[in-house]
Amino acid sequence: MIRSIVALFVFAVALCAYIVIQPDKGGRQANAEQAAVARAQTDSILGPLPDAIAPTNAALIQAPMRNTAPGLALETEHAQMERTAANVLAGLGLNVEPNPNADRVDPMQEMTASVLSGIGAVTGNRIKAGFEAPEAKSALELLVVKALEEGQDDAYINTVVNAAAKAGEISVPDILVTSDGDVDTAVLLSSIISQAQIAAGGPAPAVPNVTTGEGVEVRVVQRATQAEQYRFYTVNQGDSLGAIAVKFYGSVDKFSLIYDANRQILSSPNAIKVGQRLSIPSL
Amino acid sequence: MSFEIRAFFATIGVLAAISAAPTNAQGVRITSDVDQVAFSVGEQNFTITRGQDAGATLQGEFAKTSRPCPEFCIQPMIAAAGVAPLGELEVLGFLENDVSAGTGLLLDARLPDWFAKAAIPAAVNVPFAALAAENPYQADILRALGAVETADGLDFSSARSLVIYDNGAWDEQATRAITALIAAGYPPAMIKNYRGGLEDWLHLGLSVVLP
Repeated sequence: MIRSIVALFVFAVALCAYIVIQPDKGGRQANAEQAAVARAQTDSILGPLPDAIAPTNAALIQAPMRNTAPGLALETEHAQMERTAANVLAGLGLNVEPNPNADRVDPMQEMTASVLSGIGAVTGNRIKAGFEAPEAKSALELLVVKALEEGQDDAYINTVVNAAAKAGEISVPDILVTSDGDVDTAVLLSSIISQAQIAAGGPAPAVPNVTTGEGVEVRVVQRATQAEQYRFYTVNQGDSLGAIAVKFYGSVDKFSLIYDANRQILSSPNAIKVGQRLSIPSL
Repeated sequence: MSFEIRAFFATIGVLAAISAAPTNAQGVRITSDVDQVAFSVGEQNFTITRGQDAGATLQGEFAKTSRPCPEFCIQPMIAAAGVAPLGELEVLGFLENDVSAGTGLLLDARLPDWFAKAAIPAAVNVPFAALAAENPYQADILRALGAVETADGLDFSSARSLVIYDNGAWDEQATRAITALIAAGYPPAMIKNYRGGLEDWLHLGLSVVLP
């Protein structure tokens, strides 16, 4: 009995609310007009968009493949590579900051710098992150510096570095490990040269437009407005991720684009194998 | 007779209420004979007291009781073998003696966005991620903490003694920082863990700073 009264009461309240809130017919028409206007505006905004979106489509397609946390590890790997090259140059008497690209900030270096300034504020013991490198150069760096000082050629450096790596005397950044498990000294040496050029005020390496060559495959997908170009690369013997990045982007530091786009088949940057078909995102 | 007894208890109740009410600024003390802990680190002076509003309760982030685990899982009292857990009075003693004397450091192991919300006075933010072996600049931080580079690696004998904390017993950031420090060679005996963290600190109404 009480329940049915309560139910009736609730229904009555709901009915009243509906009558009060419901707009009159004229208002509804106005609303419809507004909606139409809004839609028209949206259309005109959307009109030119497909063209603007199109060039980034390839990147968008890659997006879901991105692992959520590669950032730190990749930055670290890249920083290592940069540091190796910078330390080799420093060993040769050329002073290069470990981060020549001003737009690329290593988040770990940034975090470390703020930690160090925090500790320094309390202890008065001020240490700068990674710059005043009193830390010993790695065995790899010392080896390359020595060979370059002796005026040895690339083939000699390649032999010596690989022998030392096989013997476990040096550790090598992952992106320099080739499909055979060797060390890609060519990429290390070219990275040293391009860093030296940038340090000397030279231009950053140009991005080559590779569309042909062994292992390179370009697929063109015709879309309503324009053609999409997808590039793939099949890993050849002796390739390292660093080498592939240099091949397609002109610079080893772009390797993370390739790595990110192919994380489903690459468990780590040194895990590339002959015959793997890597997707090469557009820059 | 029953009226008299009731009046008697009522009187006692009123007296008890009066004596319990905060009548002056020192109504909420840290211990019965300590109402504040004052110390200086370098040129900075710090004073830690408890909030004087006896009716205060926790609000916001630190009033939560349940957080999803994994991620916010209950941490062990002993974060690692040889690392002693501390309570608030020991932390205060550490600040007063070791930190102000320049032999100890209170480390906040949380990521910077947490540190910015509130921190224990005189704490230094050293996020656990910065101490991880994956940080290529980890050695710089260890040197800043007093480790000395030698031919055989880092020597920690003159490094600072550390007290590490995070958000609380449900937060693994301090545990991770401690694990990373020990993996890097920091002697466990030189590390202590304030497991209660900011949650317990705030729960007791102790002073915090907004860095």
